[in-house]
Amino acid sequence: MIGIAIIFLGGIFTLFTGLNRVEQWSKNVSSVLLLLASLFSWLEYKGILNFQNLFKWVPQQMLDISSTTEWMSALLLFLGFIIMVIMPANSRKGADVPSLMLFSLSGGILLMGAEQLVMLFLGLEILSIPLFVLAGSDKDNLASNEAALKYFIMGAFSTAVLLLGAAFIYGGTGTLNLNEIQLKLSFAAHFGEFPILLKAGLILVSIGLLFKVSAVPFHFWSPDVYEGSPNRISVFMAVIVKISGFYALGNIFNSFSPMVTWSEQWIIPILGLTIIGGNIMATGQTKVKRMLAYSSISHAGYLLLFILTPFEENINVLATYSLSYGLGTISLFYLMDYYSKQDNEFSMFKALFAKNKLHGLMLVIATLSIAGVPSTIGFVAKYQLFSTAFVYNQWAVIIALFGSAMSIAYYFKPFKYAFDNSQLKADQKSSKIELNFNSFCIIGLIAITMIIGVFPAIMQSLL
Amino acid sequence: MELLYIPLLLALASTLLGKVLSNKWIWSSISLLTSIFFVLKLPVDPNFIMAASIVDVPWLGDSIRFNLKIDGLTWLLLLLTNGLIPFVIASLKEDKVQKITPLIFLMQIGLNGVFMAFDGLVFYIFWELAMIPIYFITLIYSEYERFKTTIRFFIYTFIGSLAMLASLIYMYGKTGFVSFSYDQLFAVNLSYSESLWVGFGFLLAFLIKIPVFPFHLWQPNTYVWAPAQGSMLLSGIMLKMGLYGLIRWYLLIVPESIDFYQPIVICLAVIGIVYGALIAIRQDDMKRVIAYSSLSHVGLIAAGVMTLSLDGLNGAGLQMLVHGINVVGLFWGIDLIDRTYKTRNIHDLGGIASKSKLFTVGFFLFVIGSVAAPLTNGFPGEFMLLKSLFTFNTTVVVFAGLTIILCAIYMLRMFQFSMLGDSEQKSTQNGTIINNGEVVAFIILSITVIIIGIFPQNIIDIINPSMDQILKELSNVKGVLS
Repeated sequence: MIGIAIIFLGGIFTLFTGLNRVEQWSKNVSSVLLLLASLFSWLEYKGILNFQNLFKWVPQQMLDISSTTEWMSALLLFLGFIIMVIMPANSRKGADVPSLMLFSLSGGILLMGAEQLVMLFLGLEILSIPLFVLAGSDKDNLASNEAALKYFIMGAFSTAVLLLGAAFIYGGTGTLNLNEIQLKLSFAAHFGEFPILLKAGLILVSIGLLFKVSAVPFHFWSPDVYEGSPNRISVFMAVIVKISGFYALGNIFNSFSPMVTWSEQWIIPILGLTIIGGNIMATGQTKVKRMLAYSSISHAGYLLLFILTPFEENINVLATYSLSYGLGTISLFYLMDYYSKQDNEFSMFKALFAKNKLHGLMLVIATLSIAGVPSTIGFVAKYQLFSTAFVYNQWAVIIALFGSAMSIAYYFKPFKYAFDNSQLKADQKSSKIELNFNSFCIIGLIAITMIIGVFPAIMQSLL
Repeated sequence: MELLYIPLLLALASTLLGKVLSNKWIWSSISLLTSIFFVLKLPVDPNFIMAASIVDVPWLGDSIRFNLKIDGLTWLLLLLTNGLIPFVIASLKEDKVQKITPLIFLMQIGLNGVFMAFDGLVFYIFWELAMIPIYFITLIYSEYERFKTTIRFFIYTFIGSLAMLASLIYMYGKTGFVSFSYDQLFAVNLSYSESLWVGFGFLLAFLIKIPVFPFHLWQPNTYVWAPAQGSMLLSGIMLKMGLYGLIRWYLLIVPESIDFYQPIVICLAVIGIVYGALIAIRQDDMKRVIAYSSLSHVGLIAAGVMTLSLDGLNGAGLQMLVHGINVVGLFWGIDLIDRTYKTRNIHDLGGIASKSKLFTVGFFLFVIGSVAAPLTNGFPGEFMLLKSLFTFNTTVVVFAGLTIILCAIYMLRMFQFSMLGDSEQKSTQNGTIINNGEVVAFIILSITVIIIGIFPQNIIDIINPSMDQILKELSNVKGVLS
């Protein structure tokens, strides 16, 4: 609970104080805020610090950010911190982008902690509305404006669907509280069929959230929006929205767990479509950013496996996967942002390894990790997810394994150019590693990826 | 354990100090001394399951333990890996030493790990780990169509490994989600239909890696266009991972499916023997001849393993070592020719024998080793494999036996065109292969062809108890051979 307070108040503070300063300043301030928030959340989760007295006024049946939610919010804030630190600020004045990112993050945490469908809706809106603005924050770029409009219309539409679903659920159970819904459903499970109103409600609410996490067939907005938005915002959408969305989905499906045999029937086709569709479409892309967008769709498919498993006991699976997916995606987006030219083609990585050893290493490690090759965190995450889901549905896991094999075809595409030194001029070559703050961050990212990959027990000890 | 962290240290050292110590002989000799010392020091226990662990610590929870064990078969393959890696490094061109050496050492970690792993998931991790460095070696230094070839190689093998991962997870489920440990997986009893699926997953991984006939499509181009060191590592050591997996993991973990897959694999392997040999006869590129001959030779080993006889397994073990040495020698020799005369086409070569005598002697030894002439290292292994096939089925051995004739045809054709004759009007007119340290190392390696050819029993003695144990476990515990 302390995390959300820090970033929300901090966001307001940055917004006002950064008004007449360059954006780098507010970026630095919000990075520090995010790190602090993440650290405090984790310490509170571990029971080292206690802020309960501060938040006594928060109604527990509406919003409950404690135990696993607290830990996941610490992780989310940490990933937000990495995005904020590593992606470069633009040269304009003002603090709108960093502070809107903070507000959006606080919405993400509300979404994860929601114990009630109204709160879920509020969280989703607080997460999304800053993003509508952020997607269009590159005001002079037509594509960015298009992205903002598209995201806004699609987002508003999907939220409407979600609200309709919530209304149906209220009609079916007489309550909006997720715990009470679970209780009523487990009684109802003894009397045979569930009312059609509930089924429709669950489908509509899921559709609303699946829109946000861009699962096939609700993915059409995402490549265009990712491509049009500034890189910093695209990676924010790909990481933060997806992780908090999946936590919320897991939470909802946990409440509807008595209906699991019925809901599996349509979750698994969506899962299969998302994995296969995402991977096939990513294979055909010629632009890095669109490839990453489709790759994030396929990862949404893998994460849907998590929905099939019991929620509470497997939270470390979601956490590890989120961390691995987040680190890989952020690294690749960073490199793309660093080297992107007008067209964003794969050839932007040409001779990357000879130009900059550290960036080359980052590309290799991030790619191996996101493709799920052993000795990186990506493998640990995929292994945990797949072996956990294997208990509940074997065919879904087989599809996911097949999808991972397909994903090699596009993840390794940058390597084609990264080691191609044929057109390299002698002065572009550099074997020196510049020691500045960014290289320090890159080394940190590589280190986390490798260390948790080799010693996965570390992740468990954090939990 | 030293076999894992010493290559890691060497990889780090050669990355950091590569500029200062750019002499390949330094790395080669350090590697030879350390790795052989530690391999010889290892205890050899005939029984893999009962052997004492070298290291045993929990890796992820208690279900996956980082557990390494050693028996005779493992020991032999460790000897092969760690004995050949120094020669592979010695074959490097001086300007590539700094770049390729760290990758070779990294690969050594993966290979050593695969052969020692006692835990299913640790095995899988090392299996994949060995693939990453070789992927980059082939990607960065291949001479032609780099990306297309390497991505095909990587996707093929990755699909296989993921199928194996699915099988491993299924077996893990069968232990009640308790452990990936080899003995626990071994104790699982599968129903027939289950075992077909699980066995398919394992076999797909191993047959792609070996490669056996219809799964070999990644192989020829990768071997031919990869740099010489890449071809050596791939064919000399890495495909032994597939054969090792077949013996150690497939046979004992899913023996229920052997009845079904035994004839299929033997048929495919025998098709591969004839098919590879026939294609090799028509090749002009020397490297391509060796690539297809490798397909043919390895098919015979795989067929021998699947006969489930002591002769077959012993012959397979011996032939794994021998094939590794011969293929590394042949690729090395071809690389020396390629570097001197800038061509590998046998029609452009000729008369090397009269110019570089010492080199030709070494190359000839590797050639007759591959042809399996008596008193060379190829003979005893091939004889045992053919004998095991003969006991298994006489029809099969008619086709498998063709390898003796066909191998002689393509190997001697290659030798005749490239080495003999005169060098008038050929690329070999000018220049000789200089007798430097590299050729001396090449000759040293070729002498082992004769040594193993004369004393094969010493190697059989190492693996025989382990192979015997494998067959005993198959018949006693699982009742397969009854």
